[in-house]
Amino acid sequence: MISELLINAFLVTIMLSIAIALIKTRTVIFTVILTSAYSLVAALMFITLDAVDVAFTEASVGAGISTILFLAAMAYLPKKEEDSISSEFIPALSCIILGGILIWCSFDLPEIGQLTAPIHQHIAPEYIKGSKEDIGIPNIVTSVLASYRGYDTFGETIVVFTAGVAVLALLEKKNTTKKNKSQPKQKIRKNA
Amino acid sequence: MHNNPILRISTKILFAPIILFGLYVQFHGDFGPGGGFQAGVIVASAFILYSLVFGIEAGKKLFPTNINLILLALGGIVYGGVGIVSMILGDEFLAYNILGSSPQSGQHIGILLVEFGVGLTVSNVMIALFNAFASYDKVKEK
Repeated sequence: MISELLINAFLVTIMLSIAIALIKTRTVIFTVILTSAYSLVAALMFITLDAVDVAFTEASVGAGISTILFLAAMAYLPKKEEDSISSEFIPALSCIILGGILIWCSFDLPEIGQLTAPIHQHIAPEYIKGSKEDIGIPNIVTSVLASYRGYDTFGETIVVFTAGVAVLALLEKKNTTKKNKSQPKQKIRKNA
Repeated sequence: MHNNPILRISTKILFAPIILFGLYVQFHGDFGPGGGFQAGVIVASAFILYSLVFGIEAGKKLFPTNINLILLALGGIVYGGVGIVSMILGDEFLAYNILGSSPQSGQHIGILLVEFGVGLTVSNVMIALFNAFASYDKVKEK
């Protein structure tokens, strides 16, 4: 119990220091690297919560591929952030108030892993019981993701697809407009 | 990066094991942590690593853009197709029980195909995004 507390305290400390460093840094590449580090620590946090699938996703997507995509997109950004001109007092105050309210509300949450918590009473027991009989797969996360909640995952796949197509359309549009300028010449040649 | 022998050789050594690990995560998702999303990202990272080290043109030669875009759409079609096949066979959309001889084997087949569709879409979207960002600059310069 104490070791778990120590590990959590350690991870939270690292996350907090990364978050503070993220606010302070003005160089874009440091921001990208720190975001990646934050995701990696978040993945470790998910492992301590026994959510291995989520941790795996966070490590591969959050710390891995999104960092690469940020780096690829970073080439078109200025190297340094501009210092904000407006005062930081009101945003800081609203953040502190909102954070305070959230922390205050968290006292009402049931303890993590408590069996009598409402979230473990609703539909989860059916999934845990049925996963072996209905689907015969040891990993309940997969059976919920792909079978019980197959519609949701279909939607997620379509979201990924749509996002990819949207970005491609945005970036390709520039390409075609540039190409169009040189295309009329070719057309004239073909006609001649 | 093209002239650095350490990067070139380590990329060549790592390329196949990364894809193998991606396939393991893809098809072992029923029994351990993993699944289409993670596997897709891992497979994509192998191709992105290749493009980073050997240049975007070499990456496009290895994995042509046409095939990339076709596979990108095919993932969603595979997922939706499983649902439609189960509808044609007389059950509801995405009800896998009817796909196999017993309900459990049907679920196995359905989940395997569906996860494959997810992996296909995710990996190809990631590769396409990276290629789009990486080759955007060259067009701008012209």
